[in-house]
Amino acid sequence: MELQMEVINRQEHAREEVVLEGEIDLANAPVLKEKLQAYVDMHGNSDLYLNLKNLSYIDSTGLGVLVGIYKQHRANGKKVFILEPKDNVRKLFRITNLDVIFDLEGKSE
Amino acid sequence: MSDRHTVDGILDNISMSLPSKPEYVSVARLTASAIANQMGFNIEEIEDIKIALSEASSNAIRYSCQDVFQVSFVIKRDSLCILIEDKGKGFVQAECREPKIGEAEEGGLGRFIIRSLMDEVQFDTEPGQGTLVRMLKRLEGDK
Repeated sequence: MELQMEVINRQEHAREEVVLEGEIDLANAPVLKEKLQAYVDMHGNSDLYLNLKNLSYIDSTGLGVLVGIYKQHRANGKKVFILEPKDNVRKLFRITNLDVIFDLEGKSE
Repeated sequence: MSDRHTVDGILDNISMSLPSKPEYVSVARLTASAIANQMGFNIEEIEDIKIALSEASSNAIRYSCQDVFQVSFVIKRDSLCILIEDKGKGFVQAECREPKIGEAEEGGLGRFIIRSLMDEVQFDTEPGQGTLVRMLKRLEGDK
């Protein structure tokens, strides 16, 4: 499945969320990096909320992109929140200990 | 499948040669998913297998500098063994630094993830001799 990225306005939380949908692997990790970077360049002074509820698959190439974005935000004193990851995605964050550096929110399924 | 006559317990052996292009990682992954599902692995185990194969395939594509790599599935009653082989540059395992897990590293997680998700993992590689990754997952009921 192709990767989709959409920005939604969550008025109830007074924030924007970047929603990722599909699968992220070696083939489209560069696309994700480009799209996320473009968003971050415009919103770099805010915390980043990544909603992964529709992301069915990610591997280390995708995690590498997210870590790169995280580093930029950390350098600016901002946080990156990972919202509603599916169980298989959450597991990958857990075994790589990236659940420690990212703020994971939302129930597992 | 368990009633069939087998050699060394092998029920089936499936091999394919894939172009070393990123778009074929998903082909390897979907093939693994179909085979693992047919064997009776549960959803979490299938996800483990998909990620492990994806990581090994990605490494072959990124680092072998070859046009193709091979993926083989050795199906037994109680396990699935996947072999990922390239004839590329290989590497010195002793010089391969383990990632500092949890310290926000952007690369080097692939081998760590494979070891975390599969029951047995073996890397055979030397400079100039290519790389063979052998990874095995046992069916839950047989662990």
